[in-house]
Amino acid sequence: MTTTPGPSRRALLRVAALAGRALLVVWVTATVVFLALRAAGGDPVEAVLGGPGSQAGPEAVAAARAQYGLDLPVWQQYLLQLWRVLTLDLGDSYARRTPVLDLVLSALGPTAALAVSALVLGWLLALGAAWLVSWARAVSGRLAPVGRAVVAVVRGWEVLASVLPHFWLGAVLVALFAVGLRWFPATSTPGSLAGLVLPTVTLAIPLAGFLGQLLGEGVGDAESRPFATTARARGAGPTRVFSRHTLRHAAIPTVALTGWAFGFLVSGAVVVETLFGRPGLGRLLVDSTLQRDVPVVMGAIVVIALVYVLLTVVTEAVEGLLDPRAATTGEDR
Amino acid sequence: MRRLPLLAVASAATALVLAACSGSPAPDPSSPSDAASGGSTASDGTDAPTQAGGTLVYASGDAEPTCLDPHVGGNYPQALISTQYLEPLVGRAADGTTTPWLATDWTVSEDGLTWDFTLAERTFTDGTPFDAAAVKANIEHLQDPDTGSSTGYLAVEKVTEVEVVDDRHARFHLSEPDAALLESLAQQWTAMQSPTGLARGMEENCLAPAGTGPFVVTGWTPQQQVDLVANPDYVDATGEAAPPLLDGITWRFVPDAATRYAALVSGEVDVIDNPQPDTITAAEADASLGIEHIDNPRPGSVNRIELNSGQTPFDDIRVREAFIRSANPGPGIEALFSSTAVPSFSPLSSVEPVAVSREEQFTYDLDAANTLLDEAGWTERDADGYRTKDGARLSVRFPVSTNQSVPAEQALFQQIQANVKEAGFEVVLTPLDLGAWYAALGAHEYEAVSAPYTKVGPDVLRILYHSSGTEPAPSGYFANHAYVRDAELDALLDEASATQDAAQRADLLEQAQVRILEGYYILPLYDQQNHFLVRGVTGIDTSNPVATLSFQTASLTD
Repeated sequence: MTTTPGPSRRALLRVAALAGRALLVVWVTATVVFLALRAAGGDPVEAVLGGPGSQAGPEAVAAARAQYGLDLPVWQQYLLQLWRVLTLDLGDSYARRTPVLDLVLSALGPTAALAVSALVLGWLLALGAAWLVSWARAVSGRLAPVGRAVVAVVRGWEVLASVLPHFWLGAVLVALFAVGLRWFPATSTPGSLAGLVLPTVTLAIPLAGFLGQLLGEGVGDAESRPFATTARARGAGPTRVFSRHTLRHAAIPTVALTGWAFGFLVSGAVVVETLFGRPGLGRLLVDSTLQRDVPVVMGAIVVIALVYVLLTVVTEAVEGLLDPRAATTGEDR
Repeated sequence: MRRLPLLAVASAATALVLAACSGSPAPDPSSPSDAASGGSTASDGTDAPTQAGGTLVYASGDAEPTCLDPHVGGNYPQALISTQYLEPLVGRAADGTTTPWLATDWTVSEDGLTWDFTLAERTFTDGTPFDAAAVKANIEHLQDPDTGSSTGYLAVEKVTEVEVVDDRHARFHLSEPDAALLESLAQQWTAMQSPTGLARGMEENCLAPAGTGPFVVTGWTPQQQVDLVANPDYVDATGEAAPPLLDGITWRFVPDAATRYAALVSGEVDVIDNPQPDTITAAEADASLGIEHIDNPRPGSVNRIELNSGQTPFDDIRVREAFIRSANPGPGIEALFSSTAVPSFSPLSSVEPVAVSREEQFTYDLDAANTLLDEAGWTERDADGYRTKDGARLSVRFPVSTNQSVPAEQALFQQIQANVKEAGFEVVLTPLDLGAWYAALGAHEYEAVSAPYTKVGPDVLRILYHSSGTEPAPSGYFANHAYVRDAELDALLDEASATQDAAQRADLLEQAQVRILEGYYILPLYDQQNHFLVRGVTGIDTSNPVATLSFQTASLTD
């Protein structure tokens, strides 16, 4: 006899599925990081002893190996790391000898501030561009050529913006606004709002290019749908059609992409934080990779992966709000 | 969801790539030096009015230390910052002689095995008195395996015991004579710290070591800055009360060279280190910027390309000479470093008084190179124009540390690659990050390499060219990359290390350098570059034996 799962059971199943996916993500990322760091060469024990090229004596090397379990066979080191990750007891940094969790959490704040501000600015720029395009498409008569020109310019800007490398963009912004105009500082410290501007813009412009292209495509698609035609027939102006009808349709795939956008922002943060001398997860990753500080790299990556999982859940929920179909079927797209 | 792991891994990969590409100078192993007391000051000659007080902002491009106690590990970034709060036992004058600092006087026994130091009256900034027991605690701390010391441990290797004679007198007992002992003790890596501070344990001491220096560490925000305030009770090397003019220093970590320069030009910071050659030229060309350039080459070794004489093809001196004769680095240095670096023809830094320079051995001579290679049996050429012998190509693996070689230096290596190709050498340049680079060296997977080495004094020759330097440390590291195993050279270096006679030591070290140069083991390039750009600061002291800057006498001008 088959039964339809009740609402609470269904919720439980969803939570279990989610936890399973999160575990899978953590296991895969931890494994890849472990293998990548081994493949990169260099001996992690040197991280304990002042960095690569250490000339520490035999007793010091032996003591460090024993203390951090680096004398164990590789597979045991792997299992040990995995166990630590799963229990969220990330251990101590080889190089700093302080708990990894403290290092990662203190770096998480500045990176979150940067990522959120860039995400907001990126979305605002993309929305502005999409509205401009939908307005320009609607103009007719003598102004039609102007409309076409605006569409072309916005499309061109979006394509260009999406391929600008962060390091180049950042350097140009520093030359322009820090050295030239002196509006904003060249370096960025948490707590300084002025210092947040250039890193945010550096991250937001390419993101706006990507989001804008996707949003524009969706809006264009929606404009040819019957519901848009109906709305226009009822006398709705371009802005109303955009804000009430086509945007909502176009936003669904774009919101779904926000999880991806976060990944884009984190890998961008690696560059931007180094460029602007700003603390954060990206710079922590660079420094600890250079040091072969395995626990810190592992901890930072796993935390990033978990944030992904969380964001995906949130974006799925938002999608459900935007698109009632998603809520009823509950399926991944 | 399935894309998540990929994205996380992509971030990790970006971190790896960036780590490999970032030009931030990395910690280099080793570093000795003596500190000169109150010596030369480099201050801009501007007449700008100075003012007491204010906080100087220093932006460092060197890797952020993982511990502020330079006994732990022991690299150049630790030396740079610890100069502000820790002082060594002795200093070093420009002529290479040792000067008093925390030790006011010293004598050595006839057999060179016993050193007596008379100590100055000082108090550490945590209130602990500086005395013979403190000296003993410091040496023992360096030698304790749990400290994980790399540089300082090597420097005091021959010290078997420090005997506390009384409060003001410490006696060092050595296992064998060490003519370089004073130079070793002049380095930041063996600087004196409060024993009370050390007793707190490594984790706490790393955050704020207490010394006798002009500043005190008050805070450390990782990846961002270390905060230092003036030590109002500071007493300088001459015994005079000399509190700093500044209120404090904000020591920031800004890895990107272009950003550091931008921050200096826009007035966010007052001093930067590791500027790129093109920005130095730009700053010097535009007087309106008001930027002063300090060129303070590091002591010890010169920057050079070492040819691995331990394996083919450079186990043949004719092939080594052919490489050196055809490399022609001079025009490249001039073009790429725009006169910020001067070509060297010595194994030692130009700041070492005993350095021997032999320009005639390094003149460009392609014909001579070709003749030498013919004589050495590399007579055939393959389709790509490279020489071969018994079917094997004349190939040189050259791993390049992207963290230690600035972009200009990497470009110079590419020019040398093109130059030696004329003679039939294939050079394979492989950019690697620091860990992978040291791993390649440890595995002998190189025929040529350029490795920086900072140590105070000519004793660096013993570390880099004595056959004992081919024996790897437990980490796999060995300093003698040229793989020189020459009994006569060993004898000269051993004797120089054991002698108590300064003139005899100099003579032996000069002979040793001639032997190294005539063996064509190395192609000297230039001094280890150590540049700083300064804006609106006067009175910076550049006399520290490891060529770091001290801000004890510095003040802001605007």
